[in-house]
Amino acid sequence: MKGELRALLRLYYVQAAWNYERMLGIGMGFAAGPLLEELRVADPSRHAEAVARSADFFNANPNLAGLALGALARAEHDRVPGSAVARLRTALSGPLGALGDRLFWAGVVPALSGLALAGVALGMGWRAALVLVLVYGVIRALTARWALATGWAEGMQVGAAIAKSWLPRSAERAGVVAGFCVGLAIPLVATWLLRGAGREPALMAPAVALAGLTLARLGGPHHTALRFGVGVLVLGLLAGVLGS
Amino acid sequence: MGVSAVALAALLGWGIVVALDLVSGPQALLSRPLVAGTVAGLIAGDVEAGLRVGMLLELFALDVLPVGASRYPDYGPATVAAVAVVAGLPWQERLGLAILLALPLAFLGGVGMQWLRHANARAVQDRVAAVAAADRRAITALHYGGLLRDAGRGAALTALGLAIALPLRGVTLPARVPPLLLAAAVGSGLAAVVNGALRSTGWGARAKWLAAGLGLGAILAVASGAWR
Repeated sequence: MKGELRALLRLYYVQAAWNYERMLGIGMGFAAGPLLEELRVADPSRHAEAVARSADFFNANPNLAGLALGALARAEHDRVPGSAVARLRTALSGPLGALGDRLFWAGVVPALSGLALAGVALGMGWRAALVLVLVYGVIRALTARWALATGWAEGMQVGAAIAKSWLPRSAERAGVVAGFCVGLAIPLVATWLLRGAGREPALMAPAVALAGLTLARLGGPHHTALRFGVGVLVLGLLAGVLGS
Repeated sequence: MGVSAVALAALLGWGIVVALDLVSGPQALLSRPLVAGTVAGLIAGDVEAGLRVGMLLELFALDVLPVGASRYPDYGPATVAAVAVVAGLPWQERLGLAILLALPLAFLGGVGMQWLRHANARAVQDRVAAVAAADRRAITALHYGGLLRDAGRGAALTALGLAIALPLRGVTLPARVPPLLLAAAVGSGLAAVVNGALRSTGWGARAKWLAAGLGLGAILAVASGAWR
């Protein structure tokens, strides 16, 4: 696959032109450039069609976009009819979004974040943040490389290859691991943040947490943690000023 | 201890980097509050302040699923500004105030993200014919244009945050205010992280793993003496 490294690097910025019209489309078109380069000489008219198609609407988790990028570029090189390439593009959007979001945003990221929080609370200090970035960087780089290579190798059969791969199982398990790691962090972070803060915050914070959690669970989607946080902080400020 | 002009410029630069990292790239978790706060603390010369702000805002960030077209807060630049409130000062007095600045700023960052997505869509509409005609320069221009607009969003957000943070450092708070703000900030952060975890795990088999983690965390907190 010619242009693999440049395409991989461009995938790190695949969402730079994210918009409500084509979502990742422009980023995919930008990333596809190096992979379609060979077509320019071999088949200029196909190259022009492929470049225009590469920037059409597309949406997926950015970490798995390489699967689609590789498969679509391979299909263009194999001279698959344009309508079939467009159908593959549409068919991959949903699964790659759902799988990637479950694996990364609801799995790997909260799991590593929970471990890093626990690490700070247990005395690792700033090194915990460094380890978080490094470990995630390695996971992401390996996934991106596998995704692009698998997409290119499988072409139009990439859907079946995804179903048989490690992805669906890992996406399922990652959520369980994340739950454990975030659970591990909560008592450690709470005690670390309140240590040395004095008696009053240590007694009041659990009550505030309970009220916030009750409101979030029972109050519907508009009762976000951020809104609750702003509200209770403003109340605290007013109570403190008026009570002094 | 104040924040020097060099540190302020570096914080502004770091704020742009973390704003870009949230969506545009490289999405290397630099925008996570724990990372953004730790580096901001290093820049401002007070790593512990960075860690405390980062830890607390990371609890809020764990309640967020940054998926697709949904609007979600941008905690990166907000964390950088919040660290500027606390750095070099007693954290017990400033941490709650810093979070009071950071949360609305994070919300504003989410609103800015929506503006950016509409602006990118307008740019695509302006060049739709060139893209359809396979003009690779048009695709490249749209791509870098989006990156540039997001950098501008990050710069504006961080600059606004720092502009508010600096006067806040000098504000004398009545004695009752800091402990109440700290309790409110930690309490609402804990509510956020528990809510996010419950939403992800549900009440089925996955919840057992969350409970197991909570149990082990409590044991470690007692064993390590962190609760004292």
